[in-house]
Amino acid sequence: MDFILQVFSSFSLLLDPFNLTYVILGFVIGTIFAAIPGLTATLAMALLLPLTYTLNVETALMACASIYMAGMCGGSITATTINIPGAPSSMMTALDGYPMQQQGKGALALGHAALGSMFGGAVGALLLIAVAPFVAELSLLVKTTGKFSLLAFAIIVVVIAQRGRIPQAGLAACIGLMLATVGLDAMEPVTRFTYGYSNLTAGIDLMPVIIGTFAIAEVLTQAYSHTDVSAAAAAADKVRIRRRDFLPPLSDIRKIGFGVYFKSCLIGYFVGTLPGAGGSMGSFLAYTETVRTSKDPESFGKGNPQGIAASESANNAVCGGAMVPMLTFGIPGDPITAIMLGVLVINGIQPGPQLMADQAGLIAPMLAALLFSAVVLIPLTLWLLGPYFIKIVSMRKDVLYAVIALLAVVGSYVATYSTFQMFMALAMGVLAFYLRRNGFPVITMLLGYILGPNLEEFLRRSLALSNGDPTTFFTNPDSLFFVVLTLIFFYFLVIRKPAEIPKAVKTK
Amino acid sequence: MLMNRQLVFLYVTLAVSVGYLVSALRLGAPVVDGGLTPAFFPMLVGGTAILFAGVLIVQKLREARDAPPVETPRTFTHLWVVVAVFLYVVAFKPLGYFLSSGLFVFALIVLFSGREKLLVKAVISAVVTGVAYLMFQQLFGVRLPTLWG
Repeated sequence: MDFILQVFSSFSLLLDPFNLTYVILGFVIGTIFAAIPGLTATLAMALLLPLTYTLNVETALMACASIYMAGMCGGSITATTINIPGAPSSMMTALDGYPMQQQGKGALALGHAALGSMFGGAVGALLLIAVAPFVAELSLLVKTTGKFSLLAFAIIVVVIAQRGRIPQAGLAACIGLMLATVGLDAMEPVTRFTYGYSNLTAGIDLMPVIIGTFAIAEVLTQAYSHTDVSAAAAAADKVRIRRRDFLPPLSDIRKIGFGVYFKSCLIGYFVGTLPGAGGSMGSFLAYTETVRTSKDPESFGKGNPQGIAASESANNAVCGGAMVPMLTFGIPGDPITAIMLGVLVINGIQPGPQLMADQAGLIAPMLAALLFSAVVLIPLTLWLLGPYFIKIVSMRKDVLYAVIALLAVVGSYVATYSTFQMFMALAMGVLAFYLRRNGFPVITMLLGYILGPNLEEFLRRSLALSNGDPTTFFTNPDSLFFVVLTLIFFYFLVIRKPAEIPKAVKTK
Repeated sequence: MLMNRQLVFLYVTLAVSVGYLVSALRLGAPVVDGGLTPAFFPMLVGGTAILFAGVLIVQKLREARDAPPVETPRTFTHLWVVVAVFLYVVAFKPLGYFLSSGLFVFALIVLFSGREKLLVKAVISAVVTGVAYLMFQQLFGVRLPTLWG
């Protein structure tokens, strides 16, 4: 209860013009990046990561929270107006948003997207604020062996969640784990895999890994694919959105039904808590569930606002869910929470069970900013700037990618004032580019890299405590719990056939 | 077909995994007096990586036998971007922020959009470099290298 009160008292920090500027700036940048097809809010956050060195940690985390929320709803702008989802999480929004645009109801579709996002973001943030302290308390019960099993569970689930490309995901996770082992050993004074380079003794820094994986790899991908966006730009030029058509009438909201909003929020929230699932999975499952339970499934894909409401409520609720494992166990649910974890680590804060107890003062403003972004910034930004965001698609891509590359390379210099980190960022960018090009999910590599050091440390400590007896992982109740959970996920994600997708969704 | 672009990537990954495992083996015995040494975890990871790379190579070889891969047109722009970033990092300290960044941004704009209107692109590069300088140095207090002083 103390923590909940602390979150609500943190709203006063938003009255500080400095904090408010960063939260609003973060939201606008996140929306712009999410609105441009090919760019993501993850990239925006990766580019802004170096700047967190010069900000105080509360402000940096508040800005991160607003970028995250913006990233989930910004993609709906181009998804609705030109049928090109700006972000993967808005793919399902395009199914009903674009037909509405074709019927001359584009502004209304955006209004429904904003309302769904607002509702989903708010419910997700409130659930996070209510649930996280209890999960944090429970997480204190997890001891060394349990911590190893939990981290192993997170990595295994991220790998097996990549149905159809499990070996690729497994290999990517191994590459991440390999990167994590470079440098001085955590328990003994032994350097590993440095091959004589003193720069590697402290290990591979998080900053070049994130900047390389998300920013430089993205520039290389765009250079390789040379996506022609002239058609999208031409389509965007033709779109006219009037603000007065933006507000959805109450009758429409009643027709959608609060049940659809709530159910989609819950689906999104719980999907968010799973490592590696993300906004696209949340919106897909919520959309599928809404179609399955609808009395008129055939109307979906033809401009049914229920589809937009389900998709957008779910993907924004994912934000709250994904922060639960990040804040309570130090396990990021998706790339954005991985970068948030980076902000904590850069500022010398160790995420994990003690975080909520020891650093509640730092975490509470972030959750307040998340809720503020959902309730105030989503509707306000889309209403005020929605008509202009669509024009972003027409932006010169050559200048855009040059700017991204410049910010990425100089940003990796900021951490240590060393060109070595710039070379590392380039190396990581090339690695991530080839992994992506060959169908390897980079999130598993990133998770392997982030969780690797703790995974190894807890494995060694557990076996040291049990005198080398590996049955300790099955005899300790906390560890056994995660072993059983891993087996349950393995059954549902690998052995059991996936649930049948409703025909109405499949045909779209 | 033993060689296509995807297979080359997998062979490289396999070679790196084998090299990693060999380096891990050189760290010493994995278990000493019932306790795990710094060699144990890398050996486990290296072994698993080799296993996954092996599975993927076998899968790809089977796929290549059943259906020959469709050759897509080759583009090299991404390789030129890698070269540009590399040269930029090399020149960053000796040439200073302004000159190296200006040339880098100009090179990337040309790589992404061709060699037309070079003067306009040069002006855009100078503006981008200047704005980024203001952001890093003035707004966020980052010291950037200069050619003189």
